[in-house]
Amino acid sequence: MPSSDTIHPTPPSDRKVAIALRGVSIGYGSRAIIEGIDLDIFEGEILFIGGGSGCGKTTLLSSLNTLRPPLTGSIVIDGIEIAGAAEDTLQSVRRRFGMMYQLGALFGGMTLLENVRLPLAEFTTLSPAAMDDLARSKLGLVGLAAHADKKPSEISGGMQKRAAIARALALDPPIIFLDEPSAGLDPVTSADLDALIVALNHMLGTTFVVISHELASIFSIGHRFAMLDGVRKRLVALGSPTQLRDSSDDVWVRRFLTRTPTGDS
Amino acid sequence: MKKSVKATPNAPAAKSRADVRTTVVGDRLSVEIEGDLVLETVGAVHDALSAPLGRGPRGVTLKLAGLRRVDASGVAIAVRLFRFTKSQGIPFEISGIDGDRKLLIDLALRGQDPIPAPAPIAMVRAVGIAALEVWTLVADLLRFCGEVSIIALQVIRRPKLLRWSDTLSAMARHGTDAVPVVALLGLLIGAIIAFQTYDPMAKFGASLQVSDVVGISIVRELGPLITAIILAGRSGSAFAAEIGTMKVTQELDALRTFGIDPVRFLVIPRMLATVLVTPLLSVWCSILGVLGGYFVLGPKGITFLQYVFEVRNALTVGGFLQGLAKAAVFALLVSGIGCLAGLRTGQGPGAVGVSTTRAVVCGIVAIVVADSVLGAFFYALGI
Repeated sequence: MPSSDTIHPTPPSDRKVAIALRGVSIGYGSRAIIEGIDLDIFEGEILFIGGGSGCGKTTLLSSLNTLRPPLTGSIVIDGIEIAGAAEDTLQSVRRRFGMMYQLGALFGGMTLLENVRLPLAEFTTLSPAAMDDLARSKLGLVGLAAHADKKPSEISGGMQKRAAIARALALDPPIIFLDEPSAGLDPVTSADLDALIVALNHMLGTTFVVISHELASIFSIGHRFAMLDGVRKRLVALGSPTQLRDSSDDVWVRRFLTRTPTGDS
Repeated sequence: MKKSVKATPNAPAAKSRADVRTTVVGDRLSVEIEGDLVLETVGAVHDALSAPLGRGPRGVTLKLAGLRRVDASGVAIAVRLFRFTKSQGIPFEISGIDGDRKLLIDLALRGQDPIPAPAPIAMVRAVGIAALEVWTLVADLLRFCGEVSIIALQVIRRPKLLRWSDTLSAMARHGTDAVPVVALLGLLIGAIIAFQTYDPMAKFGASLQVSDVVGISIVRELGPLITAIILAGRSGSAFAAEIGTMKVTQELDALRTFGIDPVRFLVIPRMLATVLVTPLLSVWCSILGVLGGYFVLGPKGITFLQYVFEVRNALTVGGFLQGLAKAAVFALLVSGIGCLAGLRTGQGPGAVGVSTTRAVVCGIVAIVVADSVLGAFFYALGI
């Protein structure tokens, strides 16, 4: 794995769109939290989505991962429209991405190996021995091969998040969604996780959509940053994190990316 | 030997293809893979290696120069060969890759050395571990009983120490809310007893004495027992789940750091509420049980007045108090066991479920054991 000081965000060379959002509004019931999102997420990019607490980041992620349909608008993943799609269409789309939840959401009654093996057992016809080797290789990629036979409760929070990434990688999806991967982690573990994301992005060309407040991660590994504003109920910024920080016209975006308190000018 | 491997059936849309060539030079196996080593082909490649590896080579070389594509699943082949060679203590090398692909394989191989299976635990050690667990349980139980007794005495001396609002709320949740289900079960059990005993007793001309059977069995025995079993299912499990969740989420630690004893704050209100409402529920269950018996005997020609008179004659004040005492003891056991299970909850997402199950099972076992002991005790007293 490259060390954290060798990480440099590389813009995606292939500009093919992996996920396209057009006029998307998200929310609960009839109450919209964010409206009119137009956003293209490109293949092989690492896109961070940020914004103030409660602005709708995780709700947007729930719409991208097909669990919560948008109130209005269109979301196309890998050429398939998911807004209003039938359940079997959504099932086929779900095979094209992996998801890491904020707390890992590993199955507590299973070992790490069994957690990673589960999608393989459900969706492939591999032999049990091959499934074990695949699961071990995914755990090896995230540095957890030696802990394959432990249960989630026996490892640290950072290790649980890495195991959750290994599980998200189980079926080699082209897209991986990460919800707050660095939340609650120490800086070193957080940097290790960043290095892992970059390594997987480089080696496998995996597209990463990351919900995060972690400015260090956003600047060190994010190709682009999309910022939501819950007050104005819209996507207020999209672009290179450093360019947005240095030259965004929007005061709130600059404050967010420079960690400036609201009292300061 | 060269083997061409196409996409596995689980990926019908894929156009991936891998060619595997295995050759043995001396006693060393050479595995050459060309094409796409990806999720769609890795299963077949994996299977193709079983026979050559089964012949016991003295070394393995993996040649990947002809690889077109490799993904995070494809590296499982390298992992398999690495683990095989490590377990056999034979050399393994990979050739023909560099850059990101080499990095990918290097990452996947980290920490893959097979871990020797732990030696089976000797029987003596297993017995020792089990004995220690039992001892810990007994110690926890004694500590809990002592703590509850001391705090209960403190509360009696200074009633302000009790959280009355929590106690009343628990009485409503575990008493009032249980009224319908207790009524239903009481009614049905009374009816079933009358139904099952009527025919045999009628043969001896003792139809009216079925009322005695219903009255005595319900008021002395089944009323408290049914109520307590419902209590174990509803309240014992709820106590274990509530307190167990609080332990997992460190709310108990938060209480302790405030200097608040969790037993006084959480356990005493629940136990007191349960001990107060369970005898009342038991009486309610008995009334409905007796009524249930009449629903069967009424159509058989026994009038309501006859039935009530017969039941009243069969019952004694001692028998009635015996039922109340049993209900109170059962309530103490069920609530105590539920709260203790919650306090002993371990770590991890499954821990609360384990505590809840333990609370219900131990609660019901304790009820039945206590019923036997109390039954013998009251019999010896002649009540």
